[in-house]
Amino acid sequence: MQKVQEYNPEWPSVRPVAKNKKVLAKLSKDKWLYVLLLPGALYFLVFKYLPMWGVLIAFQNYQPFLGFFGSQWIGIGNFKDFFINPDFFRLLNNTLILSLYNIFLFFPAPIVLALLLNEVRKTFYKRTVQTLIYVPHFMSMVIVVSITYVFFTIDGGFVTQLVEQLTGHKIDFLTSLSWFRPLIVLQTIWKETGWGTILFLAALAGVDAQLYEAAIVDGAGRWRQLWHITLPSIRSTIVILFILRMGSALDNGFEQIYLMTNSLNRQVADVFDTYVYFVGITQGSFSYSTAVGLFKAVIGVILIFGSNYLAKKSGESGLF
Amino acid sequence: MKMSKYSKRLVTSLCLGLLLVVGIAGCGTSSQSGTSAGEPYKITIMTDSFNTDHTDAATSPVLKALDKYTNTSINIQWVPNSSYTDKMNITLASGNMPTVMLITDKTSSFVNAAKSGAFWDLTPYLKDYPNLSKSNPIVLNNSSIDGKTYGIYRARPLGRLAIVYRKDWLQNVGLQEPKTIDDFYNMLVAFKTKDPNKDGKGGTYGMVVTKYTGPWDIMQSWFGVPNKWGLDKNGKLIPAQLTPEYLDAVKFFRKLYQQQLINQDFAVMDPTKWNDPVTNNQAGVIVDVADRANGWVKANPNMQVAILGSVTGPKGLRTPATSGYAGFYVIPKQSVKTEADLKKVLAFLDKLNDKPAQELVSNGVLGVNYNVQDGAAVPVKDKDPDTNDLNQLLMYIPDSLATKTAQTPTSNLVTDIEKANEQIVVSNPAEPLLSNTYATKGTQLDNILDDARVKYIVGQIDDAGLQTAIDLWHKSGGDDYIKEINDAYAKVKHN
Repeated sequence: MQKVQEYNPEWPSVRPVAKNKKVLAKLSKDKWLYVLLLPGALYFLVFKYLPMWGVLIAFQNYQPFLGFFGSQWIGIGNFKDFFINPDFFRLLNNTLILSLYNIFLFFPAPIVLALLLNEVRKTFYKRTVQTLIYVPHFMSMVIVVSITYVFFTIDGGFVTQLVEQLTGHKIDFLTSLSWFRPLIVLQTIWKETGWGTILFLAALAGVDAQLYEAAIVDGAGRWRQLWHITLPSIRSTIVILFILRMGSALDNGFEQIYLMTNSLNRQVADVFDTYVYFVGITQGSFSYSTAVGLFKAVIGVILIFGSNYLAKKSGESGLF
Repeated sequence: MKMSKYSKRLVTSLCLGLLLVVGIAGCGTSSQSGTSAGEPYKITIMTDSFNTDHTDAATSPVLKALDKYTNTSINIQWVPNSSYTDKMNITLASGNMPTVMLITDKTSSFVNAAKSGAFWDLTPYLKDYPNLSKSNPIVLNNSSIDGKTYGIYRARPLGRLAIVYRKDWLQNVGLQEPKTIDDFYNMLVAFKTKDPNKDGKGGTYGMVVTKYTGPWDIMQSWFGVPNKWGLDKNGKLIPAQLTPEYLDAVKFFRKLYQQQLINQDFAVMDPTKWNDPVTNNQAGVIVDVADRANGWVKANPNMQVAILGSVTGPKGLRTPATSGYAGFYVIPKQSVKTEADLKKVLAFLDKLNDKPAQELVSNGVLGVNYNVQDGAAVPVKDKDPDTNDLNQLLMYIPDSLATKTAQTPTSNLVTDIEKANEQIVVSNPAEPLLSNTYATKGTQLDNILDDARVKYIVGQIDDAGLQTAIDLWHKSGGDDYIKEINDAYAKVKHN
C-alpha cells in the first residue's frame, strides 16, 4: 500500500491504481457473492480454526479447573512420556499393521468391484447391484459388530460351526489374537466396498468411448482394453484417493476397534484411537491424550505430503 | 446457465452454514441465575439414568411437588449410566457445571479438580443438618479425599454381593445347599451333567459369567484373597493379585472353564445379557449382587430362587464388602458462589432424605403415580416416566424411609442376606486412599491384571505367563502405586 502512495518516476503511477481498480472492480462486480461467502468463512474461522488452539494443551499440564491460562506449561514433557512409555511401540505396531491390512486388502476392493460393474452390459442389473451394495454403508458400526458377534461366537455361531464341520477344529474368532485383524478388515470390506465404488464408477463413466472403439479396431480384447485404456484412465483418481487414504492411515476407526476389543485380544487391539479415549476421557489426562492425538495428526500430515510428493515424482498430478 | 447453477449451490451451502452458526450459538445460553431469599432456589442436578424416558421438569407432577417441599426449582440433567464417567470428565473439563453433580468415580480429573478447590469442602457443614449429620462415618471415610468430604454419598448395602442360584434345579439334582467351595463346585458339575431342568436333553451348564470382572473378585475372596488390598506379613498393603491365595483362586476358575461349567464365551459376553441363560433355563448360578434374584423371579415367576451369602473356604466365610456407596453428590464452587447459596443447596440435599421427599422421589405423588394397599406401595403403571430413575437422587441418609412396593419372598430373602452378609464382609483398607499413579494410569494397570486373569482362565497363558503379566504390572507403574498407597496408609494410621 505504501509503495502505491510513494512517487516513483520509473513506475507510471497509473498502473498500480489500475490494478487496484481492477481488483476493486472485480470485488464490486461479485460483491454479493463475497457477502454470501462471509458466513461460511466465518463458520470455518470460528468453529474450525479457533478451536485448533486447544491443541496447545498438549504442551501443558492442563487442569480443567485452572483452565487454559491457569495451567502450567511443561513443554514437550507429555511427548517424552509417551515415547518412553512401554505401550508406545505396541500401539504404533498395532496401528500400522492394521493400516497396512486396510491399504493392501481393503483399498483395492472398491476398484476391483467398480471394474467388474463397469463390464456389466445390462443397465438394469448394473443399477440394481449398485444400489444394493451401497446399503451396508448406512449401517452403524454397532450393528456390523453385533452381526459379527452372532456369526462368530464360539457358542453356536454360524461361521464357527461351519468351520468346525469342515476342519474339525473349533476356532474362537472373537478372542483370538491372530483373527482380530482379519475380522476388522473383513468388516470394513463388507461395509465400505460398495460405497467406495462411487468415485471410481464416476471416473470410469468419463472414459472416452472412442478409445475403446479404436482399441477394438486394433484387435484388442477385453483384458487388453482394461489394462491399456480403463486402468490408465482412472489412474489419477486412484492416486488421489490413495493419498487421502494415507492421510488417515493412523485412524483405525475408534468405534469398530473399541467394540471388538476384549480381555483376550487387547494386546493386538489397542491402537492410538482407543488409547486416546482411555487415557483422555476415562482417566481425564487431557494434556497427555492431546499430545498423543497431535502426534497422530503430525504423522498423518507427513504421510499426505510424502505420498503426494511421490505421486508427483512419478508423473501424476497429485493433490496440490 | 452455468452461473445460475453455481450461485444456487452457493446459496444452498451458505444457508446450511448459517443454520449451523445460528443453531450452535443458540445452544450456548446459560440457565443459571441468582435468587433472593424467599424465592425457590434454582438447582440443576446432573445424575445417572438407566431409562430413556423421563418427564420434563416443567410438567412432572413429582418434581413440582418436590419443588414445593424443598422450596427449589429443580432441573435434572440425565446422563446414561453406561457413559457417565465420560460425561463427568467432559463436564469437569468444560467448566460449565451444574449446581449438584454426581461423581461416580474418583477419576484423576475429579481428584485434581477437588484438590485445586473446584468443589465446596462439606466437612464442617454436615453437622448442622438433621439428616446429613447422621452419615455413616465408615462410608463417609470411604468417599472422602485426603480426609475431606467433598460429596454426600448415596448409601448402598455393604453386604450386597452373594451367590444367587436356582433352588428348583438344586432339588432336581438332589443336592443340599452348598456350604463349602467344594459343594459349590459339585453344584456346578451337577447343573451340567444331571439334567437339572428335566427336559431330557443336555445343554445346561453351571454358572453364567460375563466380561464384567466382578464375579471373579467375589469368588476369589472365598479363597482368602483380600478385597482389592490386604496386609502382608510385614503389615504393608499389597494388592490382591500378589497374595499367594490368588493363585489358588484362579486355578479353581480355570478348572471351571476347562470343565465347561461356565459359559465358554464369557470373555466377550455383554453384561446386559447376563440373566438370559438363567431365565432361558440354560444355567443356574450367578455370583453378583443379591438383588439379581428379584430380576430372575420377575422374568420367570415359576422359578424358585435361593441366595447364599458365601461359601466356606480356607479362611472361613468371606465376601467382599462394597464401598457402601454408589457415587456422591458434589457442589461445584463455580455454580454455587456464596456460602449462603451453599447452605441452600445443602438444606435441599438434607431435605431429600426426609420421609416425604423420599416418598415422592421413590413412589411419586400419592393417588397419581401410586396407591397404598396393605401398607405397600402399588405403582399405577409400570415404568412411569414421572418417577423413572428419580430414586438415583436419593442418598438414604440415615435410612430408606419410603413405603416399599409389596415384598415378595424373594425380596425379603435379598434383604435378609444383605443383612447377614454384613457379618462376613471383608472391607478394602485402601478404599479412601489415593494414588496419583493410579489416577493417571489406573485403567491400563487394571487391564494388565484383569486381562491376565481371563487369559489364565481360558488357558491362553500358564503360571509363568501370569507371573510375566504381574511383572509387567510392577514395571508399568504398579510399584509406584503400591508405594503411594502405603504412604497414604501410613499417614492415615498416624493421625
